[in-house]
Formats: sequence, structure tokens, C-alpha cells
Amino acid sequence: MSLRLVRIDDRLIHGQVVASWLRAIGAQRIVIVDDATARDEFLREVLTLAAPEGVPVEVHDVASGAARCSELARTPEPVIVLARSPRTMLALRQAGVPIEIVDVGGMGAGPGRRRLHKTISVSPEEIRELRELEQLGTRVEIQIVADDRPISFRSLDSGN
Amino acid sequence: MFRKFAAFGGCLALALLLAAALPSVALAAGSGTSAGTPTITVSIWQAALIALGYYLANSPWLFGLAFFTIYRPLVAGFFVGLILGDPAQGTLVGAAINVPFLAFGSYGGTLPIDPGFAGWVGVTLALAGHLDPATAVSIAFGLGLLGTIIFYTRMALDSVFAHWADARAEKADIAGVALMNWLPGQAFLFVASFVPVFIFALNGPSAVQDVLNRLPLWGVNGLVIAGGILPAIGIALNMRFIFRGSAIPYFFIGFILMTASHGSMSLVVIAALGLALAYLHLSFVRRDAPAQTATAATPAAEGARPAATAVPSTEPALRLTRGDLIRSWALWTFFAHANYNYERLQGTGFAHAMTPIIKRLYFTEDEIRAALKRHLVFFNTEPNFGNVVHGTVIAMEEQRANGAAIDDDAINSVKSGLMGPMAGIGDTLSQNTITPILLALGIGIAGGQAGGTTVPTLSNAVGNPLGAILYTVAISVVIVAIGYTAWMQGYARGRSFVTEILRSGTIDRVLIGAGVLGNMVLGALAATFVVVNLAPTVNIAGAQMNLQAAIIDPLFPGALALGLVLMTWWLLRRQVSPLAILAAYLVISILAAYPFFGPGQKNAGDYSYQACTSSLLHQYSPCGAPPAPTAQP
Repeated sequence: MSLRLVRIDDRLIHGQVVASWLRAIGAQRIVIVDDATARDEFLREVLTLAAPEGVPVEVHDVASGAARCSELARTPEPVIVLARSPRTMLALRQAGVPIEIVDVGGMGAGPGRRRLHKTISVSPEEIRELRELEQLGTRVEIQIVADDRPISFRSLDSGN
Repeated sequence: MFRKFAAFGGCLALALLLAAALPSVALAAGSGTSAGTPTITVSIWQAALIALGYYLANSPWLFGLAFFTIYRPLVAGFFVGLILGDPAQGTLVGAAINVPFLAFGSYGGTLPIDPGFAGWVGVTLALAGHLDPATAVSIAFGLGLLGTIIFYTRMALDSVFAHWADARAEKADIAGVALMNWLPGQAFLFVASFVPVFIFALNGPSAVQDVLNRLPLWGVNGLVIAGGILPAIGIALNMRFIFRGSAIPYFFIGFILMTASHGSMSLVVIAALGLALAYLHLSFVRRDAPAQTATAATPAAEGARPAATAVPSTEPALRLTRGDLIRSWALWTFFAHANYNYERLQGTGFAHAMTPIIKRLYFTEDEIRAALKRHLVFFNTEPNFGNVVHGTVIAMEEQRANGAAIDDDAINSVKSGLMGPMAGIGDTLSQNTITPILLALGIGIAGGQAGGTTVPTLSNAVGNPLGAILYTVAISVVIVAIGYTAWMQGYARGRSFVTEILRSGTIDRVLIGAGVLGNMVLGALAATFVVVNLAPTVNIAGAQMNLQAAIIDPLFPGALALGLVLMTWWLLRRQVSPLAILAAYLVISILAAYPFFGPGQKNAGDYSYQACTSSLLHQYSPCGAPPAPTAQP
């Protein structure tokens, strides 16, 4: 299993990912799956250049991202997969990418969103999408930085 | 909302209870022997100044630099020393406490540990309680964990004030939004940080000393031993960032230079050597960077695209002045984290910084309201290098006010798209590279020269306040320079500045050079602050000799300390949690001080230096000799 960290983070590559996760799990490649980012040449370049030297960054839309992630899952190279939203993650899972654990690392607050845990906020749709991921056999966990203890989504999602 | 207040109340009560519990522990322990220890007094005024210092360390009032300066135990130690009348010893203890926190960083609303609390309270306890600096290191780690309660309470409560700012924005009240970004949050923070530290400073020293007096001697020794072992965790955590690839040998060079010179080589000399080697490394050793994958994926012309596609050809009617830009930058630099909270992180700080821009560009109530609301949303970046986002956004606002077709989505997508990557680069630069290296340098200078013995120990070192002062000046200049440049260049050139600076490879070169320098300094620091002293003796030609002094150190001075650091680094690489390592090292230190092999060390009166060979580790080297008191100049 070389998809070492499969993470939902609306800021994609940032301090938590570069400073904490990348070092902690020794990842050698970052794969970003996001339709809008894949279309924006400027953001694509910024993200590619924002990772530390020696860590290649790929930006894919959902269709090519699913194929690429499935391919990488079969290689021994340790990889971080980043997506902005539960929806993208669900699409990857439904396209057959073998995802054992989805890490929810960054979902900011906004209108119509309620706080789930610390900096993590969710909309009702996203809650549904995360539940669907769990139904497909993927564990959903909140773990903002590598040194945090992971918290299961299920334990926070009681009752609503 | 009620839940948040309840959480806040609970946390504050817990902090107060813990603080209040100390004096009662002291009373319970009060009858214990306190032979020969001077009485301790921290006056009310001194306690208040120390508490104020800790508040300031968390506040925006020092041009946003508090986080990089007085929040660090090295600098806090200097100021506590000033307040209590011994800045040299304060700096020394602060430096020692700082080593385990060397790799401290806070990313996006996470705080693993609070070095500010550890520094301000830890140094107070050490100075007023006449503790061995190594004991202070052990105690300070616990304090650092306690301090995070204040941070997390504040992160939860400040979300409420973000909604107060929303209400002001709804009324198009620019000054009101600015006020909500600092007044309520800071009023709360003042109480939440001042009160516990005041109580700790006033009552803590005698309480801690009474507890220590009640401990068996091996327990006290265990804390001193732990004080020599815990720094390995800070150094190893930092090695995760820089101990890589072709930079690895420099760590050993730094370590060996320090041990081979018996700790007498100045860290400034080692750093100068490190700079020279960094230059050589960049010139000769580093293989050419692989062609950046980005350029393959992106047409080269793309980066030079201006931020807005539709700039009116006529001279814009509304122009921002240089003063507006500087005011906006200064507001951000001061107040970015004044109302830091879980919900929006720096959102209200961003809106606050935009107030001079909004005042200049927008006049109708609708425009002002829309602009305030636009910038009150979730935002988080590294607040110095990340300023390139603000500069870019300000340029977009200016074009928009002059009629360019830039909608909210365009501005939001630049903010939310750039803030992450810029934080990734900014954190790597400022929190993971520049700060630890300068800190290590300052700590090395502050640690001073050991007096007398061949192997330096904290107990007989003389502190040098210059270490704290030079660090403060250096980090402040670097941070302000990065922040100002990023802000102004972001405004003037926007996206093309971002792509240009990333493509140029300058940042990579800085990071690689800093990696060489950082490894040298870190190695040297490991040689000074990581202390492992074996107690057992061996029989050599009929004489009982200390195992370490007779056999290990002559072969490779400091081999045990180096081994401990490398083992810690390896454990961290194996994803063992730093807190688990910390707990294990504390337990091992105290067990290793227990007299398993010989006469017990019940209390100070019974203690004879022959008895030290009865434990596994000993606090001073070589086993048996107490540290010679330093001659007063």
C-alpha cells in the first residue's frame, strides 16, 4: 500500500502537509486531484513549485487522477494524495482507487457549514459524502498533523 | 455558543486549579527538610512583570515578532533573569529549556506544546527555586504541555469574536471590524495568560523546591539526568527537517568539532565555518536540480500573465498610496493572530489588514459591506512569506475599484489557491529553517563556556545574555525583511512575482545552504546539551575506573550522546510519537538514577560520591566529582 496519506485538505499543499506529513511519512511524491486546479495553469505551477525539492507534484483532474492513483497504489513509492473536497475523494473511491483511510486534514468554516472538530467544518452534503466513503469500506479519520492522534469520523458524526 | 463558553470556563478553572494546587502541595510538603537552601521570594511586582511578559509573548503588540522572540525560552529566560536580577543565569536556563523546543512550530492552528509557558514559568521556577538548569529542563517540558490549554481555549473562544466582526461588517463599520479583531480576543487572552503565570510565579518556586526536598536523592538526580537526555528529542525533531541526503555529514562535523575542542569552540566560529561549507556545498557538491517538472507541464509564458485580464486603459481614478500599503502591511504584521481562532484562523486578521485599502477604494455602504465580508472568510497562510497573497489581493482590489471585471470569485480563488502553497514555502523557510538555526546559534552563545571540567555541564556553565539579544535582533530583521518584500512585490507584480521567485530556485538554494549550516550548528549543540554519563566502573589493571571516562570517551568523545541523538532520530523516523519518547526517556532517566547496584542514596546527608557508582547513569561527569563552582569574576 503506497498511498501513504490520502487527505482531504481545502488548502492542498501548505505548512501542515509540507512540514509535518511529508517528513513524518517520508513521502516522495504528491498527487493532487482537483478539477478546478487542473484547469488553472497558474495554480498548477505554483503547487508544483511549492513542494520541497525532490518531491514531484502532479496535478490531475478526477478522471486522470483515478487512473494515476490506482497505478501508484501498486508501486512501492510512498505517495501523498490530496483532494480539496469529500466529493472528489468519493469520486476516486468509486472509480476503484484502493483507499484504506481518508485523512480529513483541512476543511474551513463558511456559511452553511458547522464545526466538526477544531479547524474542521462540514456542510450537510459533505457529511453525506463522508458517510458514503465509510460505507464503501474506507475509514475516515481526522488527523490534522502527523503528531496528532487520529479521531474517527464516526465518533464525531453521532446523531445528525 | 454556550458550549464554547462552558469549554472556556472549564479550561480556565482547570488552569487555576492546577496553579492553586501547587501552594497546597507546598504546605503539605512544607515540613520537609530544606537544609541549606536559601529562601525564595518572588515579589508581587516581579510576578506581575513575568505574567505580563508571558501575555506579551502571545500578544500582537510587539510588531507580530513576539512569536519569534519572547515566546522562545531563550529570550524569555533573558527577560525573566532581568526581572529577577540575574540575566546571565536566566539566559543560561532559558537556553537549556529551549533545546527540547528547538523544532517547535505551529501550523494552521495546531500547537503541539507551548514553549512560551515553559520558558516564562520554567525559568522563574529555576531562578527563584535555585534549581539545577537540567532539572528545570525536565520540569519545563511538563509546563509546556500545560500551556497548550490556554492556546486551545483561546482558539475556541475567539471564533465567537469573528461573528461579532461579521455583525460590524453588516453595518459597513470599518473601524468596528478592526476593533473586533483585537479588543475582545486580547482582553480574554490577557486574563487567560496573565492569571495562571502570575500565580505560578508567585507560589511555584517554593512549591517546586519543597517537592524536590521531599524526593529521595535518586529522584532528584533522575530529573537532572533527564535534563541531559530530553534535549536529544528537540535536536532529533529538528533533524527530521534538515538531516537528509548530502547534508548529513555536516551534522557529524559540527558534533566532532565541539567534542574535540572539549566544548571550548565558540558556536559563532562553527557557524562561520558552516557558512563557508554551505557555499562550497552549493558550488561543488549539489547535483544540478532536476528540470522542474512544472515547466514541462506549463507554458513558460503563463507566469507573466497579469493578475487581471481586463485592466482599463485609462489612468485609474483611485490609486493606493505607498502609505496605504505600509499601513495595511503594518496592521497585518501586528494583528494577523490577534484573534486567531478555529473557525476562520487568520480571517479577521486579514479583514483588519484590508481596512486602509477598503477606506481608500470604496465609498458606498454597499461596496464597503461587500468588501469587509469578502475578507472576513477563512484565511490562513504563513504570515511573512505568505504576504505575497495580500499584495496580490490588494492589487486586484485596486483594479476592481477602478472598474476592472474582477468578481468575488476571482479574488477568493487567488486567496484560497495561493494561501496554502505560500504557507508551505513560508513555514519551511521561517519556522523550520531560519528560526531553529538562529535559535541554535543563540542557544550556543547563551550556553557560554563551561568552567573547569573537560566535559562541560550545564551546572557550571556561565550564561551569556548576548545569545538571547543577538538571536532577537537577527530573527526580527530576517522576518520583517521577508514580510515586507513579499507584501510589496506581491502588490507590484502579483502572480509573476510568485512564479518568478519559485522558478528561480533561490528558495531551494537558501534551504540547501541553510541545511548545511543548520546541521553543523545542530551537531555542535547536541555535543553541548545532550549529556549521558554512565556510572558503572570497570576494573582496569587493578584500579576501578569509570567505564565511560576510561574506555568510551577516549575512543570517541561524546559517543553516547551522539548515539542517543541518532537513536531518537531513528525512533521518530519510525513514527514513534515524540510524547511517547519523552515519557520513556523520563522514566528511564529516573530508573537509571536508582541505586540498584549498591548503597542507597536516601537523602543528601547520606550521599557519598562513592555511592554514585551504584546507579546506571549519573548526573555529573565523571561519576563522583560534583561540579566545581564557577569562580566569580
